[in-house]
Amino acid sequence: MVNRAQVRRAKPKKVDTCKQATTLILTYLMGELDSKTTRSFEEHLMICPDCVAFLNTYKKTIQFTKSLQYDEIPNEMKKRVKEFLRNKIKLDPDNR
Amino acid sequence: MIPKRHIRPKKTSSEKSQLSSNEERLLIERVKAGDQKAFEAIFSLYVSRVYRQALKLVGNEADANDVVQEVFLLVYRKANSFLGKSEFSTWLYRLTANAALTKLRQIKREKVVSLDEYMPKFRKDGHHLVRPVADWTQDIENLVSIMESRQIIQQAIDQLSPIDKAVVVMSDLEELSNPEISKTLGISVQAVKARLHRARLFLRGRLTSHFGYSPT
Repeated sequence: MVNRAQVRRAKPKKVDTCKQATTLILTYLMGELDSKTTRSFEEHLMICPDCVAFLNTYKKTIQFTKSLQYDEIPNEMKKRVKEFLRNKIKLDPDNR
Repeated sequence: MIPKRHIRPKKTSSEKSQLSSNEERLLIERVKAGDQKAFEAIFSLYVSRVYRQALKLVGNEADANDVVQEVFLLVYRKANSFLGKSEFSTWLYRLTANAALTKLRQIKREKVVSLDEYMPKFRKDGHHLVRPVADWTQDIENLVSIMESRQIIQQAIDQLSPIDKAVVVMSDLEELSNPEISKTLGISVQAVKARLHRARLFLRGRLTSHFGYSPT
């Protein structure tokens, strides 16, 4: 059974400055801030256009990262690797 | 009883014809017994996924090729060390992550970029040093800027340290949870969050700079 003292809860924080707000962005976006800190964070946003701009650009950066696209394995490479593995396994001293 | 969580990277259309977990388990047992046909079936089933994961981490086709070779050799040679406590795909994901990280550590980055240069700076009273902070999200109107921004992001990701890059890739591209990333990379959840936040601030700083504004 989990002892109460073992459950570490983060103390609610008051967000008075942009520096404090910036530190909390990741946790805020993950929805992991407690309700008091969330309210304080959002109150800071209401009076700070700089932090609104910062948050917008932070979120847009994540969106761009998520939108990166990567090519599928070329068929030629698939064949080459398969051939390489066949040969390697044949020569493998551990070949079972 | 709390069910175990497993890493399930997104599947592509080519992977839709997945085996049932029972069929997969039987296939692995045959690989363990040295059945090369079964090994080739595993290869065909997972090679696309392993390649994509490797490519995201190492960033180029040639190194991704090396990682794929390395991973499947390990699958063949170390199949007996897969005890079935996790799903095979989870085991394979971790093998690939480790092989890609080893490869990344061998690749010399062209130039070491100081992350600090792109971090936000604050005045003594805790407010932003450079004001107003530019909201360049309004500047991205056309496809060219979107393509350019993706290129900048990709270049910036390639400038991160191997471990930071892995955290960004696993979180934002593979959509793994922080505890899953923590387990895969062998670092604490707190460290995952700290590295992810710092890396995202760097990527944001690079983009901000690209749009002609102060990254700080």
